[in-house]
Amino acid sequence: MLEFMRSKRVSVARKDPETFSIQAELDDSIYSLGLSLRVRIRDLKCLSIKGEWRRWTTPECPRALGFLDQAEGFILGPGIEDRIHKTLGRNACRHFANLLIECAQVAQATQKMVQWEQAKESAPDLTLKAFMAGNGSKRPGLTAGGDGVPDSREGSGERPGIQVVENQGQPVPVPEKPERNNDNKLGLTPGNGFMVDLHIHTFPASACASDSAGAMVAAARERGLDALCLTDHNHVWPQRAVDSLMDHLNFRIFRGNEIMTDQGDMLVFGFDQAIETVIKLKELADLVERAKGFMIAAHPFRGFLTFGTGQLGLTPQKAMEREMFNHVHAMETLNGKVTQKENLLAAQVAEGLGLPCTGGSDAHDVSSVGRYATRFNDALASEQALVEALRSGACAPVSFFT
Amino acid sequence: MSNNILDFSMNRCTSVRAIDTTRLKSECTLRDSFTDARVEIIVAMPDLTISSVTGHFHHAWLRESDTLGPVFDKLVDVRVGPGMLKIIKGLVGEAEHLKELTYMVEECCHGVILSLTKKVLLKAPDDEAAKADFYSNMVMESIRLYDRCAAFAKGTPLVEGYERRNP
Ligand SMILES: [Zn+2]
Repeated sequence: MLEFMRSKRVSVARKDPETFSIQAELDDSIYSLGLSLRVRIRDLKCLSIKGEWRRWTTPECPRALGFLDQAEGFILGPGIEDRIHKTLGRNACRHFANLLIECAQVAQATQKMVQWEQAKESAPDLTLKAFMAGNGSKRPGLTAGGDGVPDSREGSGERPGIQVVENQGQPVPVPEKPERNNDNKLGLTPGNGFMVDLHIHTFPASACASDSAGAMVAAARERGLDALCLTDHNHVWPQRAVDSLMDHLNFRIFRGNEIMTDQGDMLVFGFDQAIETVIKLKELADLVERAKGFMIAAHPFRGFLTFGTGQLGLTPQKAMEREMFNHVHAMETLNGKVTQKENLLAAQVAEGLGLPCTGGSDAHDVSSVGRYATRFNDALASEQALVEALRSGACAPVSFFT
Repeated sequence: MSNNILDFSMNRCTSVRAIDTTRLKSECTLRDSFTDARVEIIVAMPDLTISSVTGHFHHAWLRESDTLGPVFDKLVDVRVGPGMLKIIKGLVGEAEHLKELTYMVEECCHGVILSLTKKVLLKAPDDEAAKADFYSNMVMESIRLYDRCAAFAKGTPLVEGYERRNP
């Protein structure tokens, strides 16, 4: 039985020698919408855009039409997808953004067709293949979007050269009286112990983060943490840079790495190898084991219980069967970027599998540093000590700062 | 020139079918002036992992992909959900002739998510006031929707409740 269907149609005609007229429609089981564009052939500049809703969902969806003109002036050439997602996708509606991206791809292809036709005027036998081989067939990267589940901010993008950036006098928002939070439903109540935020992102090492390592450390210290761990995306911090930060800020900092695998993100410790691209989990597990490191499944159920997909009846028992848990040493059961329900499911699965649990804020800016942390029994003076403590299982996730 | 004959046409269709109670099949076909391609994924429920990917790709000038099996196999076990786009791109790579296929796999995955979204939306009441409550509650339960589109933008009616609770 058909559960869902989406049809998209885009067509291009030449309105005049300078301009494409593009008509586009998206019609699916939920939405129906249209776009009408005028695009300059020479440089693919969007001269005008008009949109129309035919079927939509919420009473506020019509507001999206008021934001479509943000695309006027866009050059719909290679690489425009991100900009469309970030403007139309966020301010209007991701389904209009999805359709505009199709229009951009089609405009680029039609421009090539026109250029080939022009080239044929002086070389009638020129085939499309030969023409493209001569002109390069570079096409932009595509991003579908429109998934109903906004993609997370997580991920590594292009990043500038990494350097130690101190907190250059920027104010760090901290509570007036930093207090440890005792309202801890999912982890242990913080008491004595060595408190480490095991999951922190910094800029520029993580392109999606917005505060420097120096600023994150300043916030951690203000809030009463004993240490934090830098876990930037697929990034190995040089020991020297971290030593210099520790000296300068007089605060314990550990190095970790959040590595993207085919089974989701993994936090690894005691592992220095640079992994530049998405790696198979099993492969990473072998490498970490060989290095005698430690691997934690980060936010293992992020998005599993979101709108639409949360109704599938995923029980802890069923979730325990996921093969990936055979390859990790522990699970992050308190993560600051997922819902309480998703953390709770992680805690239930970890308990069922007998896996140690950890907590970390997953902070990308100073505001959430220390939201969750991991409590160790003893002070940890080195990364080696951290890995050994993790391996011994003598740690517990805590809700630390709200 | 102004003869109203189209210079380029594109038609993309994605459909999702239930094979049985534990598997969904999502298929994306693309036909345009340059391309004839099809991708099909099978997704296992309830954790939405991809159990198989198949397809073909013919294009007017890009390399024909006659050995797609190993490329598609890389995607087996990937989960459909947040974060999937980066994982899929990372596993398939950036080769020119594979970009459209990657996009089509993503479209199949979006189709799966939208088919599940549809089931939730079917529960929305007809009455306008009750409908507004339904969507307000939806934002409250799914923080990822907040401020992600015009309907749920900061300061708009459907997010009032959420903003009151999270000042
Ligand atoms: Zn993270």
